[in-house]
Amino acid sequence: MKHFKHMTGPYILWSAAFIVIPFLLIILYAFTDGGLSLMDASFSLDSFQEIIDPLYVTVFSRSFQVGLITTALCFLLGYPMAYMITKFDEKVQPILILFTTIPMWINLLLRTYAWISILSDNGIFNMLLGKLGLAPVSIMYTGISVNIGLVCNFLPFMILPIYTSLSKMDPALLEAAYDLGANKLQAFTRVVFKYSLPGVLNGVILTFLMAISAFVIPKLLGGGQYTLLGNLIENQFISVGNWNFGSAISFILAVVILFTISFLKRIDPDDED
Amino acid sequence: MKKLVSVLLIAVMVLSLGLTGCGKKDKEKPVLKIFNAGEYIDKSLLTEFEKAYNCRIIYETFDSNESMYTKIRTGETYDILVPSDYMIERLIKEDYLAKIDWNQISNKENLNPDVMGQKFDPDNEYSVPYFYGTVGILYNKKVVDKADLADGWNLLRNKKYKGDIYMYDSERDSFMVALKALGYSMNTSNKTKIQKAYRWLVKQRDTMDVVYVTDDVIDNMISGNKSIAVVYSGDGALIMSENEDMDFFEPEEGTNMWTDCMVITKSCKNTELAHEFINFMCDVDNAYLNSQEVGYSSAVQPAFEMMRDNDFKGIDAFIPRTGHDKDQVFRYQKNTLRKYYSELWTKVKAY
Amino acid sequence: MKKLSTSKIFYCIYIGIIFAFFYLPIAVTMFFSFNSSKSLTHFTGFSMRWYVNLISDNEIMAAVSVSISIAIFATIIATILGTITSIGLSKCKKIVRELLLNVNNVPIMNPEIVTAIGFMILFSSLRISKGYMTMLLAHIAFCTPYVITSVYPKVKTLDPNLVDAALDLGATPFQALYKVLLPMLKEGIFAGALLAFTMSFDDFVISYFVTGNGVSNISIIVYNMTKRTNPTINALSTIVISIIFLTMLVVKIVPYIVRKRRKETLHEKIS
Repeated sequence: MKHFKHMTGPYILWSAAFIVIPFLLIILYAFTDGGLSLMDASFSLDSFQEIIDPLYVTVFSRSFQVGLITTALCFLLGYPMAYMITKFDEKVQPILILFTTIPMWINLLLRTYAWISILSDNGIFNMLLGKLGLAPVSIMYTGISVNIGLVCNFLPFMILPIYTSLSKMDPALLEAAYDLGANKLQAFTRVVFKYSLPGVLNGVILTFLMAISAFVIPKLLGGGQYTLLGNLIENQFISVGNWNFGSAISFILAVVILFTISFLKRIDPDDED
Repeated sequence: MKKLVSVLLIAVMVLSLGLTGCGKKDKEKPVLKIFNAGEYIDKSLLTEFEKAYNCRIIYETFDSNESMYTKIRTGETYDILVPSDYMIERLIKEDYLAKIDWNQISNKENLNPDVMGQKFDPDNEYSVPYFYGTVGILYNKKVVDKADLADGWNLLRNKKYKGDIYMYDSERDSFMVALKALGYSMNTSNKTKIQKAYRWLVKQRDTMDVVYVTDDVIDNMISGNKSIAVVYSGDGALIMSENEDMDFFEPEEGTNMWTDCMVITKSCKNTELAHEFINFMCDVDNAYLNSQEVGYSSAVQPAFEMMRDNDFKGIDAFIPRTGHDKDQVFRYQKNTLRKYYSELWTKVKAY
Repeated sequence: MKKLSTSKIFYCIYIGIIFAFFYLPIAVTMFFSFNSSKSLTHFTGFSMRWYVNLISDNEIMAAVSVSISIAIFATIIATILGTITSIGLSKCKKIVRELLLNVNNVPIMNPEIVTAIGFMILFSSLRISKGYMTMLLAHIAFCTPYVITSVYPKVKTLDPNLVDAALDLGATPFQALYKVLLPMLKEGIFAGALLAFTMSFDDFVISYFVTGNGVSNISIIVYNMTKRTNPTINALSTIVISIIFLTMLVVKIVPYIVRKRRKETLHEKIS
């Protein structure tokens, strides 16, 4: 029985080197002021004081807003989709799910790139509007284009877990509810929705997590003035070179996310761990 | 099924070994690592150089001088860099650059004497000019009222053009615009003036809905997505050659006269090859090809003249303004000042 | 039954709209890869010039081979590492197990960009020159947790006495592992490997922060090229997407056909 015990050895070392130490380094940079090198670093809370600046608070709240809007849109679009898929024939369902999954396999950059040519001011969308005799609209480099990009990329991550939960539900349950006198709405809220709750939670966590820390999509579709947390972090590391400040923002972001997830997971009735 | 999987796995492994193996032969060749701005070279020249000198070029690009500097500070090494004037001054001061051996640059006489010997490197000990130009405003003749051009940089705050403006996402150039609009020197270290410029920029982005772009400005302006853009003269020339509606002007309040140069780093091991490359880029035919591709004004005078008289005939953006007393060259900033600027710039964008 | 079909029509329309939202941008990209001009809005005529460009573009081809080879190596190593760890996990002390599983969850839950800068800081404080190796290490590091999350639950469902039985019957520990455990974990391992491969192949954020020396994968090259209109990217997209599409269809539909045929032969045999 003891034979395989030591098989965790390599991964203990590996995760120490590639998970624990990087995280500790971020914390180290966040709480010091030595610039790019750790040699002459000393403890300091300067970076955190800087974050309190109302301006960075704006970035935080904008990121949360984008995260919430994206998650809400994904939920509103994704839930009906998942629900409708379960109403199809059992042979058709896997095909519909397959077509929901395929976009997830296609490179995010390529999908975002596709949106650029459609949404830009002289792009396909405005060309079509023009053909219909409508005035062109400026979508590219605004919050709208960013949200479109985010929703398009993250929607499958909402649909799939909800579908998984819903498809596990025994249809007899619904009949039982009707037999017991529930109307359609009651049957839905008390039975169907409750049953799909674990899936909803998973979907919400996934999309929110991805949306709040997104930085490629906002950068490509939002332009340089559309700064979210991810962009702020990238900017600090790539162009400004203030690793202390960048680490401080990353640290806060990570703590907020890890905290939120463990909080949400606690609500999840299905989670056994 | 199991067999299929293992056959697939083996096939895949052989394939990937083959893929990485292809590079093996190249690995024995001398390597030259070049770090240049994006969209700033005719890439076919790189292949040509590789063939002619039997070497391998590792070519990387950066968004801005600042991001290039950060990369170097974090320990990345390159052989040749193509930074701008003020960044060269910084790199010299911080001891990152090796001296140029001009004896190895046989094409030296092709270089335009006017762009040589500038203050950031008075004797061109470290730098060989590559492209030069100014920063100006590109505008759509059909949309922008000629009379409004008298506003100079303040055109960028004319409410008529709200939502119709691209700014360039570059720390120093954006502050240059604001400082010049306010009538200050673009090299000022006076904090109240910098604060005023900062407020100018914040006000601009709040009231004008500007979009900060980098190289994407080129295609966006070629297809006329917006009517006004702050651009480098070279990008302006390229856009004008593709879109006749566009015109370029340098505001009277003065602008940034910049020079981008090729420099060799201290960490460069094969300096001979690096010099060969620089010399190769100073060759008239190569410089001409290069200038044709990127649209910038070449420091190689014969190539510049060929472009001016043929390809870009009548495109005024290709001939950068000279001799205007309010035009300036960016100078080195002390670290504290640089940090001050970059913090404010982050704020302008993040607001 | 009639009533159901009206709502079915509505369902079909809704699902159709969502699919259009997913696939139209991709279709448009693919369509313009065959354009004879550089425009991405006006189709001027059919041509294969962007495909010719693509094949002759060394930079893009190098990126394709980096993406593929990194994905393969990362998948193989992450799958092996993840599988042996999962097996080991079920046998070790509770504290170690819980601790390791929690640590393992960090890269999955952490925002990708935070993981990415963690690697970046790690490599540059160790003064490791960034490039192919750093990218590979980072990819293994962020793929392994996903392998563990898909293999470990399968390990938990196994009968703990299985290995003992094998050992008692005279199998060496290696044989017990290879002949008893692994076949039973096949499904989980395969799912984990598949996940690892796609994660690695699609990755942008982590690769972007840990690469150097001119090594770039498909995502990075696309990112650098989006600044200028370049239908060569459309051609690349079209090829990548077609391959993925075909693979997915084959992977999903072939087993279906095989199963069907098996049933048929079974019927034949019975009758």
